[in-house]
Amino acid sequence: MFLVSALLVGILFAVSTYLILQGSFVRILFGFILIANAANLVLLSMTGDPRGRSAPVVLDEAVPMADPLPQALILTAIVIGFAVSAYLVFLLYRIFLDWKTDDALALFAKKKPTDV
Amino acid sequence: MQATFPLIVPFLTAILGVLMIRPSARRRAAFAASAGAQLIYAVWMLGNVSANGPTVLYLGGWSAPFGIAIVVDHIAAIMVVLTALTALSCILFGYLEVSGRNEHPLRLPLVQFLILGINLSVMTGDLFNLFVAFEVMLLSSYALLTLEADDWDVRQAFPYLAINLFASALLVAVCGFAYGLFGTLNFAQIALRAQEMSGDPLLVAFGMFAMIVFGIKAGLFPMYYWLPNAYPIMPIALAALFGGMLTKVGIYVLLRLFGTLLPHDMDYLYTTLAWLAAGTMFFGVLGAASRTYIRGILSFHILSQVGFMMLAISLMTPYAFAAAILYMGHNIIVKSSLFLVGGATLVLNRTDRLDRTGNLWERTPVLGVTFLLLALSLSGIPPLSGFWGKYMIVVAGFTAGEYVLVAIAIITGLLTLFSMLKIWLGAFWQKNEAAPVRIEDRSWVPMTGIIAVMTVISLVIGLFPEYFIQLCMTAAHELLDKESYIQLVLGTAP
Repeated sequence: MFLVSALLVGILFAVSTYLILQGSFVRILFGFILIANAANLVLLSMTGDPRGRSAPVVLDEAVPMADPLPQALILTAIVIGFAVSAYLVFLLYRIFLDWKTDDALALFAKKKPTDV
Repeated sequence: MQATFPLIVPFLTAILGVLMIRPSARRRAAFAASAGAQLIYAVWMLGNVSANGPTVLYLGGWSAPFGIAIVVDHIAAIMVVLTALTALSCILFGYLEVSGRNEHPLRLPLVQFLILGINLSVMTGDLFNLFVAFEVMLLSSYALLTLEADDWDVRQAFPYLAINLFASALLVAVCGFAYGLFGTLNFAQIALRAQEMSGDPLLVAFGMFAMIVFGIKAGLFPMYYWLPNAYPIMPIALAALFGGMLTKVGIYVLLRLFGTLLPHDMDYLYTTLAWLAAGTMFFGVLGAASRTYIRGILSFHILSQVGFMMLAISLMTPYAFAAAILYMGHNIIVKSSLFLVGGATLVLNRTDRLDRTGNLWERTPVLGVTFLLLALSLSGIPPLSGFWGKYMIVVAGFTAGEYVLVAIAIITGLLTLFSMLKIWLGAFWQKNEAAPVRIEDRSWVPMTGIIAVMTVISLVIGLFPEYFIQLCMTAAHELLDKESYIQLVLGTAP
């Protein structure tokens, strides 16, 4: 269980890093959405193996409870990640409108006329 | 209870600012009054902490390792004072820089959210809460960065956002690892359990990971590319606030991480940090020398001085920590004031490109004197405020036997002087036919007044350093004293 989530986190981080390093805005956006989920999965996997444990709301004296805290934490992290992704979408869209390009590399190819 | 004021007041002020969104003189006055009240309260809080010792507030009444603890100790109180001071001067400067009608209505509320994020970051005693506070701070900073950027400049916000988003994702992962390793996110309990695990290689991995995350936020070499191009695109009053405060929050977390959270035997980590710090200061100052406009030079300088503080942290003695804190306090005040001098130049010469500025010494000698004092202070000329911090860092370095690192620090100091001279020659000393001084725009007079007040504060630190060094020593001892911190927060002896 732990190995599976570790592998999944590794794959997600690798894929999202690859996407972030691409030029296209859409890929960069997906990369960031994916990396936030990869980080959330790290948090979630700290609950440990839930098999054989009761759900946090069920108070069964005989069975130990699954750790609910990481789930509370990733709820917060998801909300924040959502807000930040929304901001990223708007920023990329504004840059797209201003620069008429969706390629991050093209942004820095030109020099500002007043730059020295 | 005293901890609630620096959190509630910026929050309520921001909400009020959103509710009364229409620009008016009354709105501006309300924001200025709030910033002034925050400064007065912060100074009182620092005095209270000095007199009565640190206090803890358990949010919602949940006891220590389970709820979120807000800890007000010396370093937190010092940071809150510095934030309030910089914020007040930047808000007032912003009023002079743009008229009420031209100011973006969201600028002032976002500044208050930024202050809220900084205050919560420095006072929280919980790792995940620290992440939330960082996000509050960073989201406001993203918004402020692009709020008034023009079509050309908005592209610079992209690397800023990309690096910070990446670092935030890693910060969530750090919280996860901390929870997995220690089974808690409370600073005091992490400190307690990390001490028991002392020598465990997992701890080194965790420390390295956390150092990289907060190093990115603080502008550590080689992860600082996002900073020096992004800050100059902002209105100068905001650039001064960002340049003064944001990277220093990262420095504060590194102080807390190495001082309080982790055991004090992670030499491998300290050596890495020391050499990265040396790279930060040296390449930062080289970058500054390559820039030809005031905001660009100052933005690169932020990195160079962050390197000094990190070098001091990596030495891991109370004396070096005190040096880092003193240098940080001096740097926040002087760096924001220098940005504000750049703002006054922008008003007088209509540009801050050094080949199109000039004649300022002749027309506005008072501004020249304040700049000279600030620039010499930044370069560490005695007896100005920058000297004491640098002196203490150098002494701490020699005591630790790190001669090469100290040599790099001293060379960096000289190069700092060089790039400050560049601004002095370009903006103040040179007689430039192409740079008319618009002395008739009288807004430079109150601007110089604000800069002069900041300069006087920096001079007081420089001329009467005993009290400030004492304060920093107390804060440093407190940071390094895990037992008292654990006792304070958990209420039991370890």
